[in-house]
Amino acid sequence: MPIIAAQQQIETVIELNNLSKEFDDLTAVSDLTVSIPSGEIYGLIGPNGAGKTTTIRMACGLLAPTQGEVRIAGIDVVQQPDQAQQYVGYLSDFFSVYEDLKVWEYLDYFAHAYKMQDAEIAGRITEVIGQVGLEVKRDALIRGLSRGMKQRLGIGRAIIHRPKVLLLDEPASGLDPKARFDLRNLLRGLRDQGTTVLISSHILTELEGFCTSIGIMEKGQLVRSGRIAEVTAAENPARMIRLRWMENSAPVAPLLSASSEVSGVSLDSVEGRFHFSGTDAELAQLLAGLIAGGVQVLSFAESKQTVEDLYMKLSRHEVM
Amino acid sequence: MLRFWRNPEFVRHCRAELRRNRALAVLPVVLVIGALIGLGCWASRASELEAVRRWATQFHREDHLAQFQTTYVRDIWRLFYRWLMLVQAGVLSFWSLLACAQSVSGERERKTWDFQRTTRLTPGELLVGKLLGEPVLAYFMVICCFPMALAAAIGGKLRVSDFVSAYAMIMMGALFIGLVGLWLSSLLESRRGFGLLAAIGLFVLFVISYNVRMSNYPGLAAFSPLAGLLPLLQVDTAPNQPIATIFGQKVPWLVASLLLYVTFGAWLVVMLVRNLKRDYEGMRLLTRWQALGCAAFVNFVVYAAFHPRSETFWVQGDMMTRPTAPTPQDLVKLVVVFNTVILFGIGLATLVPYERLKVWSRRRAEGKASLLAEEGLAWPWLALSAVIAYALLVWGLLAWRSVLGFERNVLSASALQLLTVLLFVTGDVIFIQWCRLTRMRAPLLKGVLYLGLYYATAIVLTIVVSLGSQPFAEALSAVLTPVAAFDDRIVSFRAPLSVGLGWALQCVFIGIMIAVITRRVQRPAN
Repeated sequence: MPIIAAQQQIETVIELNNLSKEFDDLTAVSDLTVSIPSGEIYGLIGPNGAGKTTTIRMACGLLAPTQGEVRIAGIDVVQQPDQAQQYVGYLSDFFSVYEDLKVWEYLDYFAHAYKMQDAEIAGRITEVIGQVGLEVKRDALIRGLSRGMKQRLGIGRAIIHRPKVLLLDEPASGLDPKARFDLRNLLRGLRDQGTTVLISSHILTELEGFCTSIGIMEKGQLVRSGRIAEVTAAENPARMIRLRWMENSAPVAPLLSASSEVSGVSLDSVEGRFHFSGTDAELAQLLAGLIAGGVQVLSFAESKQTVEDLYMKLSRHEVM
Repeated sequence: MLRFWRNPEFVRHCRAELRRNRALAVLPVVLVIGALIGLGCWASRASELEAVRRWATQFHREDHLAQFQTTYVRDIWRLFYRWLMLVQAGVLSFWSLLACAQSVSGERERKTWDFQRTTRLTPGELLVGKLLGEPVLAYFMVICCFPMALAAAIGGKLRVSDFVSAYAMIMMGALFIGLVGLWLSSLLESRRGFGLLAAIGLFVLFVISYNVRMSNYPGLAAFSPLAGLLPLLQVDTAPNQPIATIFGQKVPWLVASLLLYVTFGAWLVVMLVRNLKRDYEGMRLLTRWQALGCAAFVNFVVYAAFHPRSETFWVQGDMMTRPTAPTPQDLVKLVVVFNTVILFGIGLATLVPYERLKVWSRRRAEGKASLLAEEGLAWPWLALSAVIAYALLVWGLLAWRSVLGFERNVLSASALQLLTVLLFVTGDVIFIQWCRLTRMRAPLLKGVLYLGLYYATAIVLTIVVSLGSQPFAEALSAVLTPVAAFDDRIVSFRAPLSVGLGWALQCVFIGIMIAVITRRVQRPAN
């Protein structure tokens, strides 16, 4: 199975080795192996029922694997759950909060439950309340908060003890667009502080732009895993180039077909696209050739693949 | 436990339940209820005084009136104290049971439980926090009530030791009942329906267990807080009251309750600590060795609490006791009944989740796991438990031989009786294990209900057959049910043919169920 960044000199904080989980007659996760280095935001994507939630629940010690091991910061989660959990923050997709507590009391409870030092708790609560934007609600009872605020409080709970690893299962469900934007910024900020994030979602646009690595799961198996650029490169050795030109220019097709690096040409009267397998210099040369050949080029750009494109290409769209 | 006030779970409950407004609302309510109880006691005693005055005037018994008047005020205080303590005991125990019985299951239902499981709180800390925190409002009410109870105790000229003991009894009872509630809630996925009914049923069981003091096991009445509390409150002052005994030696009720609560509570704690942070599907109450120890412990209690010298009988509606001379066979029958329950309980406590059974089956196929492995089927351990029960039966019969006498034949007959129970219980437990491997919902409950249906059918069939032929009906019941375990025709190592047929039928059933289970767990997953 693919192991990302195996050769890197960065500390690996999440290790899932040959992880399997069976429920009755169903194999929810099958022989999953992933190593995630420190500071990554790893997006686990796949359809509903692919095994994402089961994987995350095993990673935080809520489910015992049928086989295999989970290590967080080098600690076996099954053997030493108490030690491992000091490094883990977890947020599930559907959750509830203690409605009869105040916002600060809720965070205070979890700060003590994670056995933080008494002296740092008050300061940390203020800091986290600021990070999740609930300053004005600090002394409010939780039952009076909106759903989005409760979701933010849940995120605050997950990060209160400064975990090295954050495991988020569909964290943006129920959040409005602004709150989703804020969540992304918060996760980026945490990554910059060295937190490693494993985030699952089946809404691919949610992960776009801030995940550094992805794993695609289907039927309990990891179909692909790695840094987005690496997975893209592995799947598409040729870059896709989009081209637009002035009408009545010189014909484009003969000029493109003259290059051995060009393939998959698809053109109409004023625009088109093709795959290019050469280097940047060769691409620049091709553009110069087109212009020299009389094509009045309006735009010439490499088309970046989105996570969604990649997923649609790799996935067989099978569910269990 | 020692610094429970710093336990985050306890603090959470205090913050949520005892907000200033709520606490300020509870205080006057408690004071008003206390005042009403006080008024009621005064009114009752005043009307009694009036009746005595009339009677004394009519029959010229002023001396009796004078005597009544000398203790009049003290008796009002005592009555007030008695009611205050009983109300506190009732409220605290019922509240503890109900609050704790919805604790873990409620968190599971609200989806907050997983977050507690991922914190660094140990199962022990969660247990203490919930046990003391869930009923914290009831404890607060008791604290509010305390000054009134103290005043009543002083006014009633009660001994300090009785006052302290009564409160100790109330607290012990509430903690134990709360622990039982917490244990119950750890077994349930939802706080509604069965859990609530079971909690109320348990409370009734606790209260009525007080009546066990009239049986051959008077000490087991100490499970009820009433057993220790009522003598301290001088509610029942009739002579010849039953007493708690351990191996025939008198023990104060408070000590008997303490012993039962601590020992049985310890087993509940073991089960809770082992399972609180586990996933619901992966829960197994006890390890195999713990189950064996639990079976041995309960058997030991059966002999320790046995009191052969009294028998209950009724004369014109009054319950009375008299000395009896039970035989060793009587003790064996009691032990067999207890062991039917113990073995079934142990069997349920050691049921294995489908997933772990599959892992065991694979490892066994590779020669890496034994029949006695932790994740294997429970039947070898049930057999071991029965062996231990038999060894303790031999010991118990020897220990009580000076009172019951001793017959060598009883040893061999009791072995066959226990074997009968073992075979039927093993069949039942393996059937429930199979139910757990199917896709049925609430397999444990349904398995027990199916077994209930089977035994009800067997009993009805036996009754119908008995209308035609009594001997045939007896044989049929011996084949279909474990009733033969109490059959006096089992003598020495000889048993009637029908009993042997019943054993054979159970062995075949067990064999078939094991084969079905084995085939199922060897099926590859999809």
